[in-house]
Amino acid sequence: MLPDTVLDQLRFAVGPNGLISEPNQLQTYECDGLTNFRALPGAVVLPRSTAEVQAVVRLCAQHNIPFVARGAGTGLSGGALPQEGCVVISLARMNRILSVDLANARITVEPGVTNSQVTDHVRAAGFFYAPDPSSQTVCTIGGNLAENSGGAHCLKYGFTTTHVLGCEVVLPNGEITCFGSPHGIVDTPGYDLAGVFIGSEGTLGIATRAVLRIVHRPQVVQTLLAAFNEVHAAAQSVSDIIAAGMLPSAMEMMDRISIFASEASVHAGYPDCEALLLVELDGPTAEVTTQMQQVRAICEQNGAWEQRLAQTEKERALVWKGRKAAFAAMGRVSPNYIVQDGVIPRTRLPSVLEQMKRMSDANGLRVANVFHAGDGNLHPIVLYDGAIPGEEARALEFSYEILRLCVDAGGSITGEHGVGREKQCEMSYMYAAPDLATMQRVRRAFDPHNLANPEKLFPTPRLCGERADGAYHPHPLEAAGIAEIF
Amino acid sequence: MTTLTALFAAIVAPEHITEAASIITIAPASTEEVSAVLRLCSEHKLTVTPCGGATKQDWGNPVTPEIILSTRNLAGIREHIWQDLTATVGAGTSWAEMRRHLAAHNQRVALDPLFRTPATVGGIIAVNDSGSLRHRYGSLRDLVIGMTVVLADGTIARSGGKVVKNVAGYDLPKLFTGSFGTLGIITEVTFRLHPVQPHAETWTLRSPDIAPLAALQQQLLDAAMSIESLQLRTETTGFALDVRFASLPEVLRDHELRLRELASPLTPTASGKEVWQQRENLFAIPHATILKITALPTQTAALLHGFNALASTGILAHAVADATGIVTVALNGEPLSLFALIADLRSRLQKDGGMAVVLRANSDLPADLDRWGGSPTAIAVMRAVKQEFDPQRLLNPGKFVGGI
Repeated sequence: MLPDTVLDQLRFAVGPNGLISEPNQLQTYECDGLTNFRALPGAVVLPRSTAEVQAVVRLCAQHNIPFVARGAGTGLSGGALPQEGCVVISLARMNRILSVDLANARITVEPGVTNSQVTDHVRAAGFFYAPDPSSQTVCTIGGNLAENSGGAHCLKYGFTTTHVLGCEVVLPNGEITCFGSPHGIVDTPGYDLAGVFIGSEGTLGIATRAVLRIVHRPQVVQTLLAAFNEVHAAAQSVSDIIAAGMLPSAMEMMDRISIFASEASVHAGYPDCEALLLVELDGPTAEVTTQMQQVRAICEQNGAWEQRLAQTEKERALVWKGRKAAFAAMGRVSPNYIVQDGVIPRTRLPSVLEQMKRMSDANGLRVANVFHAGDGNLHPIVLYDGAIPGEEARALEFSYEILRLCVDAGGSITGEHGVGREKQCEMSYMYAAPDLATMQRVRRAFDPHNLANPEKLFPTPRLCGERADGAYHPHPLEAAGIAEIF
Repeated sequence: MTTLTALFAAIVAPEHITEAASIITIAPASTEEVSAVLRLCSEHKLTVTPCGGATKQDWGNPVTPEIILSTRNLAGIREHIWQDLTATVGAGTSWAEMRRHLAAHNQRVALDPLFRTPATVGGIIAVNDSGSLRHRYGSLRDLVIGMTVVLADGTIARSGGKVVKNVAGYDLPKLFTGSFGTLGIITEVTFRLHPVQPHAETWTLRSPDIAPLAALQQQLLDAAMSIESLQLRTETTGFALDVRFASLPEVLRDHELRLRELASPLTPTASGKEVWQQRENLFAIPHATILKITALPTQTAALLHGFNALASTGILAHAVADATGIVTVALNGEPLSLFALIADLRSRLQKDGGMAVVLRANSDLPADLDRWGGSPTAIAVMRAVKQEFDPQRLLNPGKFVGGI
């Protein structure tokens, strides 16, 4: 699809082994973790250095070709979905850990390093990298920056943006720059461009290097599993724990369907119940021991009929394995499913779950719920059968209705998966036209020609209809009854 | 009443408009009024300086605006959902007032900025101020979860929201945090809150030599204890390290024993809350020139050592360093030697990416003193952002880094 001259130039930029242009090979790159959207790129390049990324981006700028950066392709919102005929820039080969500074708790890595590799690299020295998306064993730091990835432990430790002190970036015009500090120094003078770049979903440039903050491993970690007969009771326990002034490192909830699916898949030994609450505390031993007693008392007051404390590393790993496998395990209970990512204020949990159940009863589609209860981040999973005509469309619409329910409750359409292609039309439900127009100003400042991952994140008239321009205003002819809009 | 004042009086109640020395001060009472005022300023190409408690107006390059937009009528707690640990406040709310309100539920915004009265939420965010609590709770970029801003052309934009976890769209609150009023005017802010720690103890260690204190600080950081604040500072003779533990009483007992063990042969002494005022006290030193130095945390001890050694050259330096690598230093001395010192300091810091920003300059210092210490690598993108947000350069023109 790209002219041969452009392919030749790309080949020259990244070497013959760095270019993929055969249609059958390109298919590997036609989607990310959101597999119901697919498009074939014109070429895929696999640069090995910042200079090669720069050369490719310059070519794209010169020929006005859109480009999409890609890490491991685990994203769940279609952020790495190519635009038809674009250049996909895979950062997979830039996977070196460049330096470690333990005294200052910093590590400098290339974008293709996986999230887990960072922790693996510093574990022996008593450190870890805190953001832990469920895909952490394969997802890359570059992708984490693009999506501002969270994970179960961001309740206490914050998101990717909290842990990035600086990043080298190739801008959409091919210039190399640095946001934050290349040395990992805080508060460098100027606008916090790292703050706006992280989580920009590949629309403002490509990170080619990142200075990350690493965290001292706590003295002790304890994980409690509590089984409840009612989702409400588990949700109330979450609120009570927070109200008691505690900040657990994670608080996760799973409902019956998710527990069942997870059990069938990884056999974590979860109790058979309506709602499972997982509370993890970490810190100094004396603090964790005392607080865990408080947590157990709270759960008991709220009717937990079984509580299990995982204390060894092995027991904890098994508990978490069940939780982290929950999405993939849905295949055990339904032929197809859609994972959503809404956020609500924690206190709205019971009412939103109830409303979700009413919606599910009304439209006959089941919803499983796995969520980061501590920060109100829901992952409703709409189950459906793609073989039944029309059911996929209904499931998709249901999943968007759930997001709107979250917005109505004072929340957000995405807590960690990003907007991508999947939720861009919902952006205009959450934000008013001037809010979105203000974000577009940022985009223009970085990417005036709209080449970096275009047609993502923002609602577009082509994909979302007139909603993109805010409220519908009738044409004067229409208002006057002279013409009609079809 | 001038013609201009009359135009503003059609938007804002006349008692909220004053005129002195050809600067009009306007204090709108709502975000909508701010929007209408800025639209009018934009039409008439009037330069505007936003102003809260006016405690830090001398930070950054000097600006003489035509309009001062005061946020004093944008004060108040809009919402405090204590069960969700979030609160929304008007930008003109003083930090102290917000603190009092949140304390009723034993909550707080876990930040210890300068001048809690009368500094306002909006002003503190505009300069991205932070104190020693940053070690545990992060800076404003970690605590602000939503913001309403008004752009130079009057556009009202809301960004973020009322939930802590939210990645929908660009994180505009981060862009506005530390932007020195050059991109728009912050009118409302939503914070994530933390519980106030009911049990806390502060310990101070003193030494004529900084090395043992620096080593102890590193050991404390490595020991994974419940440390809420840490600071290293110069004293008249020698140095001090302050550490505050915040946790349950039994943990505090354990931490005290561990501290005594780690510190030996130095002996910790119990301190009151006032040691955490030391950074603010620097700003009360008469005629001082005050710098904010950012460096790697392991480099701050050497800086403090150097500051104490300046006494022999006739420069008096008092410094407080937090555990994240921010050093605030107050300098008194002969203007030309201070000027030279700042240049020397910057060239030494440069190698490892450190910076020295002049927050407050003594009026005797040469007027061509570069407040910001050069332009950052990404200055071109910063200028492009400014161009998109304020193409007429009306908001605090020239105040920011690189003359933005």
